[in-house]
Amino acid sequence: MPGAKPALSALRAQIAALEAGTRTPPPVLPFGDPRLDGCFPAGGLQRGGWHEVGGSGLEEETGAAPAAFAALLLRPLAAKGAVVWVMRRDDLHAPGLMGLGFPVERLIQVRARDEAEVLSVLEDALATVGVAAAIGEAEAPDLKAGRRLQLACERRGSTGVLLRRRPYGGPAGPRGSNSREVSGSAAQTRWRIAAAPSQPPPGEPGLGPPRWRVELERCRGGRPGAWILEQAEAADGPHPFRLVSQLADHDVAAGEPELRLVG
Amino acid sequence: MSAVPPVALIATEGGTRRLAAVDDAAAALGLHVGQKAADAAALVPDLVTADHDPEGDRAALEILCDWCVRFSPAVALDGLDGLLLDVEGVSHLWGGEAAMLDDLLDRLARWGAPARGAIADTPGAAWALARYAPDRTIAPPGGQAPLLAPLPVAALRLDEAAQAQLPRLGLFQVSQLLALPRAQLAKRFGLGAVMRIDQALGAAREALAFRRPATPWFDRLAFFEPISALSDLERVTGDICALLCARLEAEGQGARRFELVFHRLDGKDQPVRAGLSRPGRDAVRIAKLLKPKLDTVDPGFGIEIVTLWAADVEPLSVAQRSLDADGGISLEEGLAPLVDRLINRLGEDRVWRADPYQSHVPERSVRRAAPLDPAPETGWDPDRPRPSRLLRRPEAIEVLAKLPDDPPVQFRWRGKSRRVRLAEGPERIGQEWWRKAFDEVGPGKVRDYYRVEDEAGERFWIFRAGLYADGEKVPKWWLHGLFG
Repeated sequence: MPGAKPALSALRAQIAALEAGTRTPPPVLPFGDPRLDGCFPAGGLQRGGWHEVGGSGLEEETGAAPAAFAALLLRPLAAKGAVVWVMRRDDLHAPGLMGLGFPVERLIQVRARDEAEVLSVLEDALATVGVAAAIGEAEAPDLKAGRRLQLACERRGSTGVLLRRRPYGGPAGPRGSNSREVSGSAAQTRWRIAAAPSQPPPGEPGLGPPRWRVELERCRGGRPGAWILEQAEAADGPHPFRLVSQLADHDVAAGEPELRLVG
Repeated sequence: MSAVPPVALIATEGGTRRLAAVDDAAAALGLHVGQKAADAAALVPDLVTADHDPEGDRAALEILCDWCVRFSPAVALDGLDGLLLDVEGVSHLWGGEAAMLDDLLDRLARWGAPARGAIADTPGAAWALARYAPDRTIAPPGGQAPLLAPLPVAALRLDEAAQAQLPRLGLFQVSQLLALPRAQLAKRFGLGAVMRIDQALGAAREALAFRRPATPWFDRLAFFEPISALSDLERVTGDICALLCARLEAEGQGARRFELVFHRLDGKDQPVRAGLSRPGRDAVRIAKLLKPKLDTVDPGFGIEIVTLWAADVEPLSVAQRSLDADGGISLEEGLAPLVDRLINRLGEDRVWRADPYQSHVPERSVRRAAPLDPAPETGWDPDRPRPSRLLRRPEAIEVLAKLPDDPPVQFRWRGKSRRVRLAEGPERIGQEWWRKAFDEVGPGKVRDYYRVEDEAGERFWIFRAGLYADGEKVPKWWLHGLFG
């Protein structure tokens, strides 16, 4: 049927145009260091998707290190629009975020009543024009919620961060449980953040700039990695992090503190 | 004896129980307000009495006042037992003033609230005609004087002293009073009396305290058949929003608050409210904010009238369509609707932006501002590091310190012991002595804050409350925040 061919190809072209419309090549947020950027398929943290950031141990409940990391991670995006931070407990302290260089005047804080509300507000915010990024503190979104977040991110190319945080006084989740695996499948990346000992400049008393032990546990289309990152000073360039050291293999690195305890 | 027993309300004044109100049957039997309850009971043994409840009366009158909004947006409470409606320009909706008055009074009578009514040019004349003229008197424009003339002088709302004096002087009717020279009237009964006469005749203006400020931003939809289905309510919501917003747009105005009221057949009002963070007049958007709340509306036997009110109306320039998508998106299209959605869904106190507040006490240094208000110029002091998580109430920790004034070398928080690797401080923060009594904010309440880092690198914000003084009382240590 030669007559049908042009119609078919026209349809194909239409479909391609439609798909291109929804999925433009996503811009990325580079870290400015090839050792980090190399882990990501596009050479940096993908925008137009959502990322899961969690802590370990007590940080699963307090969520301080992941919050500081997420704020720094999204700092370059905050220059482009508002950032919405959805939480269930309002213990986020804006002066602390300002200390990390985060533009607090662009931050809209929302306190939701329950987990489902956190996710729906997050989704609403991500799909809104003028919102550059949104952060939500939730326990574990299921596959469907994760997919919805992804679609919301794709609509406007905004970036979402889900801070995994146990509700106060809630039961400690089993490490590496099924829910974690499931929730990870919809996110672009999954991070685990822990504090790392800081190094004050020689001869100066007090604490050095904050450092984190950052594990990229999962990266869609890329490979995992683990690093020690430090908050970059203004002189270090536009990127919020300075790479201190690369941990050789993130599995070994993760096991290290465990070993020390046993020893 | 009649089938309906006479009824009187009783109020206790200075230990004496007196009649506060009597119904027609009781009045016909010779009872009057102010009579002792015991005397009344002796005269009319089957008198039914109840306690007078002025607050309840007032509340009921307010409900009635709100209900009357279906007739006119401008309704004022009048004393203890009256309502004044400004019906200018609305009576045509009922096909004339007489029809409107009949409708209003018939509805009231049907619900067991018999009322008298009158329509006149001035509130004073309407007050007088409703109380002393035949029921449902309607004064033609400018024609209240002849109607007022035969009424008793009490119809003029004079003060008590004047009212008591007039009959003694042989003045019983309004017409007698009107015939007197004004100067004499003013001299004898005070300027108040002259003013009341002028107010009744329209020579002086009278300000009414409407229950809602009179506003042109009001619209109303009435239905031939009562509606009750949710889909109908939604459609009506969209219609009335479009109606009001079209007017707002024509006049270059926008409003921040909208109140949609469903008037039920049985006279109950079901309000639904929505607010905008910035003035707006986008009917679709406002309807979208109102629609999720419609399921709280109980239509009962049906809703016959819907009114929509816009408040906080202010000028709003014509919305500018952004020509290019990249050249910055206006607040109107993006953030403002989001903030509105969130506030209407979660409540105003759950959506905020943290603004600096001039206080060095950490928990008071943040003020919650509306997210879209202009940002403040000043920020927090960048030289004072603050944690990213501030615990709502500090948690007690057990501390080991080498010297009393040193930062701790070890502390235990939430059951886990931590060795302090690095410490920074102290930053001494006193209480705000101007806010409380001295013993609550004195030197014993000073906090010395330290930033400490444990061996794992976790950073904490801890403080010692008070000072080491005579060794009697050991100051306690607290953990207030986490730097992360």
